[in-house]
Formats: sequence, C-alpha cells, structure tokens
Amino acid sequence: MTLVEIAREAARLALAKGANEASVGTYRARQVEVAWRDGKVEKVSEATTRGLGLDLYVDGRYAAVSTSDLRPEALDRFIGEAVALARSLAPDPHRRLPDPALYAGQAEVDLELEDPDYGRVDAATRRRLAEALEAAARGVPGAEKILSVSTSVSDTASESALVQTNGFEGTRRGTDFWLGAEVAVQDPDSRRPEESAASGSRFFAALEPAEAVGRLAAERALARVGAVKGASGLVTLVVDARAAGRLAGYLLGPMHASSLQQKRSFLEGKLGQPIGSARLGFVDDPLVPRGFGSRRYDGEGLAARRLTMVEGGVLRTWYVDTYYGRKLGLAPTTARSSNLAWALGDAPRERLLADVGEGVLVTGFLGGNSNGTTGDFSLGVRGFAIRGGRLAEPVGEMNVSGNHLELWHRLAATGDDPYAYSSLRTPTLVFEGVQLAGT
Amino acid sequence: MTAFDRFGVTERMIRETLSAALSRGGDHADLYFQHVVTSDLGLEDGAVNRAWASTELGVGVRVVRGDQTGYGYTEDLSLPALLECARTAAAIADGPARAAPVAFHVRADLPARYPLSRGWGEVRPEERLPLLAGLNERAFAADPRVKKVNVYLHSEAGTVLMADSRGRLVEDSQPMTVLSLSLLSEQGGRREQNGYNVAGRAGLDFYTPERLDRVVREAVARTAILFEAGAPPAGELPVVLAAGSSGILLHEAIGHGMEADFNRKGTSIYADKVGKAIARPFVNIVDDATNQGARGAINVDDEGNAAGCTRLVEDGILATYLHDEISARHYGVAPTGNGRRESYRHAPLPRMRSTYMLPGPHRKEEIIASVKRGIYCQNFSNGQVNIGAGDFTFYVKNGWLIEDGKLTRPVKDVNIIGNGPKALEQVDMVADDLEIDEGGWTCGKDGQSVPVSQGLPTVRVAKMTVGGRGS
Repeated sequence: MTLVEIAREAARLALAKGANEASVGTYRARQVEVAWRDGKVEKVSEATTRGLGLDLYVDGRYAAVSTSDLRPEALDRFIGEAVALARSLAPDPHRRLPDPALYAGQAEVDLELEDPDYGRVDAATRRRLAEALEAAARGVPGAEKILSVSTSVSDTASESALVQTNGFEGTRRGTDFWLGAEVAVQDPDSRRPEESAASGSRFFAALEPAEAVGRLAAERALARVGAVKGASGLVTLVVDARAAGRLAGYLLGPMHASSLQQKRSFLEGKLGQPIGSARLGFVDDPLVPRGFGSRRYDGEGLAARRLTMVEGGVLRTWYVDTYYGRKLGLAPTTARSSNLAWALGDAPRERLLADVGEGVLVTGFLGGNSNGTTGDFSLGVRGFAIRGGRLAEPVGEMNVSGNHLELWHRLAATGDDPYAYSSLRTPTLVFEGVQLAGT
Repeated sequence: MTAFDRFGVTERMIRETLSAALSRGGDHADLYFQHVVTSDLGLEDGAVNRAWASTELGVGVRVVRGDQTGYGYTEDLSLPALLECARTAAAIADGPARAAPVAFHVRADLPARYPLSRGWGEVRPEERLPLLAGLNERAFAADPRVKKVNVYLHSEAGTVLMADSRGRLVEDSQPMTVLSLSLLSEQGGRREQNGYNVAGRAGLDFYTPERLDRVVREAVARTAILFEAGAPPAGELPVVLAAGSSGILLHEAIGHGMEADFNRKGTSIYADKVGKAIARPFVNIVDDATNQGARGAINVDDEGNAAGCTRLVEDGILATYLHDEISARHYGVAPTGNGRRESYRHAPLPRMRSTYMLPGPHRKEEIIASVKRGIYCQNFSNGQVNIGAGDFTFYVKNGWLIEDGKLTRPVKDVNIIGNGPKALEQVDMVADDLEIDEGGWTCGKDGQSVPVSQGLPTVRVAKMTVGGRGS
C-alpha cells in the first residue's frame, strides 16, 4: 500500500470505530550516514523507517496517537484503544479539524525539495567525501595541533502523506544531504577545544565542496587555541549568522497562539507595536525553493503562504494554529514556522566588525535558557574579542544576559549573510550595550 | 506473554539474523528488539482534555569490528526484513563469515530494581485522571496568584530483548513515569512561571500522598518567590550548590568528559587523567545504576551487560571512565554497564545513569556562613558542556544571593558557566546531606536522549562566572 492508502485506511478505521473526525499522517524515510574518524570508518548506518500518527476527534474529545507497528491486526487494535482513550477524557469544544476553506489555494510552484539524482549517491561516494573532509582539515597550517578529526556524510529521502476526513489529502517528498567535520585541537594548557563546519542541501550537487568544509572546521578549531575569559561589562555584541538562530528561536516561541492563550508570552499585547529596532524584520516564507522549512501545506493541511511576522521592528502577526486560534478567537495563520526571510543589511561580516571597532563576536552559545513569560535570558557564549575593527583573541567561559524586550531594540545592524543551513536563515546580528559576564 | 511472542520472533529467526550480520566477519553482533507503549494525559484550563499515546516496535542490528560499527534498524520484524537489515550492518566488516551461536542462554541473574505491583498497561485512564485534577485544584487553592495550571502525567511500559553473537539472550521490562506540574502566576501586572516534576521507574503507587503534597508545595513556592527575585551581579563569584538537583554540576563538569568514547578519541579534557588527583580528597563521585526505582536506574545496559555502581572519582583521584563494549575492549577493561541508547533506532554509546557525589565532612550551615558574597543555587532547568574545552554551564531557575554568610535576596533566571577540571579543583567544601533528585532529567548526546538521575550534597565552588547583570 502507498502511504496515502495506509492513511486513508487508518482514517476509515477511526471513523468506523466511533471517531467523528480524524487526521492521519504517514511517513517513510530512508536515512544513511557514514561517520569517519582519523583515517577510517567509525560507523555506517542505514535504515528505512516508517510510522503513522493519528489525531482523533471523538464526541467532542481529543487524543493524538502514533505507532510504528503497521501490521493490520495491530493497527486495528491500536485505533480501537485510541478511540477508547479519547472517550475517557473531558470534552473540549475547541477541538475540531480546520475549516476546509483554508485547504484551498496551495501555491502553484515547484519547491524543488527532491533531488532526482538521489539514487546515484552511493556508499563509495559517501566514503570518498568523508575521507576528503578529513584530508582537507589536516591540510591547514597548524595542523600538527590537531588531535582528532571526525567527519560525517549523510542523506535522507523521505515521503509523507496527510489525510483529514473533512476533505484534505496531500503527499510530499523530499531529500536532504549533509556533510560536516568536527576537529579537536590541543591547547598548550591541556584543554582540547573543538569546532565544526557543515553544509547541507536539498540537492547533492549544491553541497559545498568537502575540501572547503573540512578546511573551515580545522581553521575554526585552531582559532580557539588560547581562549581566555574576558572582562564583565556592557559591550557591543556581534552574533555570527551561524549562532544567531539560537536567539531568533527565543523570539518565535512567544509568537505562538498557545503561549498567548496560556499567558506565557512576553509579547502579549504587542501586536502592532515595536518589539525591536527598525532593523528587525522577518517574513515567514514557506515557498523558498529548496528551503529546509519549505512546504505547500502545513501540518494541519492549511495552504502555506508568506506571513510578515515583524516589519521595521513592529510585530505584525502571530503563529496561530486551529485549536488555540479558536480558544483566542483568532483566525489561524499556521501552527509552526517554516523558513524565515530576514530584512538583510548590505554589509558583509567583515565590514560590520570594522564598523563596530570594539566588542565581542559570538560564534557559539553554550547552555543557558530564556524565560518565554518574562523575556529574561542568560546564555553561555564563546567567540572572539573585536579590537580596532578586527578579530582579536578567542574568548570563552562567559555569559550574556538581558531581556528580549530590551535586546532587540538594541539591534543596530544586520549582515547580508543569511545562514543557509537552517530554516531560521539568520544573518549576522549586531547589538549595542549588551551585558556580558566574565571575570 | 514471552518476549518472543511480543516481537513475533523465534530463536531460529534470531540465529539466522545474527548469521547474516556475521556474514562478513566482525568481532561482535547484536540485536536489540524493543517494544514501548507510552501514554500521556494533559490537563489545561481546568480539564483533562488531551491525551497522547504511542507504540514503538522495532529492532536494531549492530555489527562491531574493532571500534567500527555497522548499524541498521527496521520496524518490520519479518525474517526477510531482519535479514536485509543484518546484511546492511554487516557491510562494516570485510572478512570471511563467522558462525552464529548454535544455542542461546537466557540471562536470568538480572536484579529487580524497578519491580511493579501493577504494570502501566493495566492502569485504566479513569484511574489516572483524578491525579491530574487533584493537583489542579490544590495548586489554585494554595495561592490566589496562580492563574494557569498545566499538569502532565507520562507513563511508559517498555520491553527489550537483546541477543548477541556470544549466545546471550537478555530480556528486561522497563517502566517509567513522570508527573509535572507547571504554574503561571500574576502579581501586580507581572507574571512568573515555574513548576516541579517527579519521575521514576515505577507504577501508579509511586504517587503517594506525601509525594503529591511535595509536588504542589514545591511548584507553588518556586513560582511565588520569583516575584521577589531579581538578577544577581555579573562576574566571578563563589557558588554554593544546594543538595539535590545541583548534581547537574557533576553531570556537565565531569560526567560527560568521563564517557570513554570521548577519551578513546582523545577529545575529552579528561583524556590521560585517570589515576591523577583532580579534586580534594573528600570528593567522591559515582555513576550508579542501582538506585531502586530511580529514573536513571537500569537492571542491565542496552548491550546486555551488568550495570552496577561505577566510581568516577575516589578520594579526589580520577578512577574509572564510563564504558560501553567498544571502549571497554579498546582499554582492555570490563564494561561498566554504561552502554545505553535512546531506542532501537540508535547504536549504544557510553552514557551516564545516576550521577552523584558522596557526602563530605562539612555542614550546610557552615558552608553558607563561609561565603562573604556569592550565589546559592537551588533549582535548575538545563545544562551543557563542551567536552574538549571543558567549559560547561547550568541554568539556575531559583537561588539566593549570599551576603556576609547569609541568604539575603532571591535570584532567578541566571546561567552559570565554568570549566570542568577547574571547577572540580575549586570544590573546597562538601556537606554531609546528599540528596538524589527525584526530577525527570533527560540527557542528550549525539542526537540521543536517555533518562538520568543526579544528586549532590551541599557543595561550595570557590569561583564560577555568574551570568547576572551589573556589578
């Protein structure tokens, strides 16, 4: 049976066993990974995995279940038990499938999510790339300090289907390819700093060359040697595009209807108001060709469309799913973010650093957390001191703390360099007057 | 039901699958069958009106050659699918075929660290509902500032069956439950959120009246105090860790760095330090699988090896790494029972179980009184470590400022960062009040999550960097 046939059959069973409505998602994915370390294969893994998820609406009650056991008799029993589980709960008048009118109007674009050449990437190719990543890392000046190089080459081909009993059926397919290297180096004082680099794409041919990725990982690791703890104080903080996704993620959570309805959003009451400087802006764009978050319909079957989230610092809309939208009396937009398209500056990182003059570049966060209710955050950071507009000594074992409602107002510039290997696609971000804790 | 019935397999199918796994040689091969049924009930806005349930069934096949691993898994437990999966894993080796075991012996000497009077499969939803509703009512009644209450009850019934090329067959039933209470309170236009959770390898009788009392009391108190709390100063300060969940310090500062895979690869800051003094003589740290009913307890690890109590630091001296089969063979030592995995979809790795420090010679009161100006850390949400550089963090949700030996004002939402070996050297006082935390801690590594426990007596660290504001 195809995935959509399995989903239809499960939906039929759910209705037959007493559900009023149901939504069924099925998936299958083939995942292959070669991990390589110091001259030989460390691990090869390969598998095809599958599963089914089912949202049940039974007499005004709701349960969501999933299973990887698709044997017909097991599935039959599983759905029967799920209906009984839903019946044991309290009713919830807000639980229903989406308004089917929202299913209509999917964009007629080719999102280019599946590489037609997927089948041509074989074990020998993966191994050759894994080896090339290491060779490139070991070829950089200073390589004698390298303790270990681990590389990884992986790909996934996935397909899924979604069937909702009030008139939605959809299927999608996609591929992705990744290669990356992690390099550990010896610091004279016995520390062994590690850094990494990676490249990913929907299309194999669009990956960065393994040589460039391996070299970058080694250069980044060697640059960590001799890291020191800087002084505490208010500084200009430049957050590298690769690291900035962590900060952006903390803004997205409080933009969700579930956070608003549960009074756990520091953005409540801010619609139409500035939540950051005029530099802050991003669109949620599900229609980016080859994007990791791209889709023509979302997880609830809603036709995907672009949403202006923040424009010139002003909050324009929320992420609203069907359930919490009904609770709040808000029209659904989409339950989850897709790709972010940021308002970019016109300067590359080097020029941003030159303009900053004195400050700290953050290349990675370590631990820490953000309080979505109050906006307070405190995060471990590492990176480099910026002196005279250039990168100076590596710094680490420091914390940055503040409140998001202040932080984003201090956004002074954004780079022209959205990070391509995440659906958050953050550019380099420059914040002025941020509290850093060190010595 | 026997484990064979549950998975619909026979000893012959297992033998044929292992034979396919060893078709190109290899030092070791194993199969990990897993069946897990989970159930979650959720209370929001006053009603238990949502439930989630899942069934996971599958098998992972592993072939090991030296320190190289071939791995495959499948949810299809038919013989052709098992054989295909085994041949995929076999590709790691390239020698002549090895014979699979002719006979299997069932390992019957497992301890019983989480016996249940009644498994979760026998507990009807109707029996669980009052638990959630009761916490909701009591939380609202305890403090008029409480505006939103969320309660979640997770239960899990898992069975694993392991078979390997040495002819070992190991079966274990692994229950788990987590109850969490999360509150949102309002006062004078301000809002604060906090909560409390408890977890264990246990059944419904885990939820005694005393435990439920504690869940409500702690959640309410931890939320209420946030209205009086502020940010601590920024910079280097003495840090006192309260007994209990402060064991997160050990998990991040030393636990991960002692996982033998990082040391085998030479990428841990603790590589080459075994046998050397790394802390004061009164510092003793263990990783223990044996705590009855603890979230981090296991009867056997996920490679079928016995799991006991492993000494990481003995009288200040680094004693033993945490091993899985591969690292144990690499170092020529016995496995320590730390080979764990998230599920059949993952190959095992050296992982922690329940990590804690043994009691020391000081008293809590004397430790707090010794600090001129510092931070007292009580509750935590999360932590992280860079294994090689040694930098690690933990995020403090509730704490106090210490001034002139006294707790003076509450602090909140602050990240603390240190360097593992430096921080251990600077543990200069350890109290006699060890507590192992009852919370639902989960450890992540290489994309795999496993349940763990942690504990600590009251401890003073002479200096760490506190991510506060101002001076």
